[in-house]
Amino acid sequence: MLDGLTPKAEARLSLKSRLAELTLVRPWVERLAAEHGTSEEKVFAINICLEEALSNVIRHGYKGEPDHSLTVDFSASADGGLVFTIEDSAPLFNACAFRERPAPASPDEIKPGGQGIPLMRKFAGSLRWEPLPHGNRLTFGFR
Amino acid sequence: MQIAIEDVDGGVTRVILDGRLDIEGAAAVDLKMNVIAGSSQLLLLDMQKVTFLGSMGLRSIVVPAQTVRRHGGKVVVFGPVPLVEEVLKAANIDTLIPIHHELSSALAALQ
Repeated sequence: MLDGLTPKAEARLSLKSRLAELTLVRPWVERLAAEHGTSEEKVFAINICLEEALSNVIRHGYKGEPDHSLTVDFSASADGGLVFTIEDSAPLFNACAFRERPAPASPDEIKPGGQGIPLMRKFAGSLRWEPLPHGNRLTFGFR
Repeated sequence: MQIAIEDVDGGVTRVILDGRLDIEGAAAVDLKMNVIAGSSQLLLLDMQKVTFLGSMGLRSIVVPAQTVRRHGGKVVVFGPVPLVEEVLKAANIDTLIPIHHELSSALAALQ
């Protein structure tokens, strides 16, 4: 689904680098999902991936500075898959190369944070990172 | 995100979470969850009505659960819907907090 040319975006959501802006994402996703007859399970997966990716960019990429920009583009591929692409102008960070922690040896070793990228990997159908001249492009595919 | 607390027989504190445990939901319950964890030995997290769980929501559960465990207490999760349970298991939270789908077995696990 992510091979070849990226399909033309059907919809774009532009955000500022503030966690409060993330409240705009779910209604946007749900509107698109309704238009495309997307299942509840896929909407859950899309929402979890976008929340984790966008909050990572805001908190870590932009280090909480509130006036940077992010965009999320949506397109439906010819084979019925849904593609969401996040672009930012934060320092390069390859989420696909992030090394996950080994499974905790005991319950008390479970860390409260650091679950975002593993959750993205679990719930995205496909995940691709590309460096941009001044930022990152992260593309999620969902079948 | 709504949170309600009930005292159940046997000294169990039942915390009923209702809504989305996303970034916004986690921020709404974090303080209450930490206060509850500081004063509870037996904690039942009723997640039947939780419709979404992200990494910040996981943090809202893990931190209080570890607090209770450090005090020698016990925590169980009751009734998550399948997608929420999938998130819990993906993050290995079920090794810290056992998941039960019957209230009777959840309560029994706390005794």
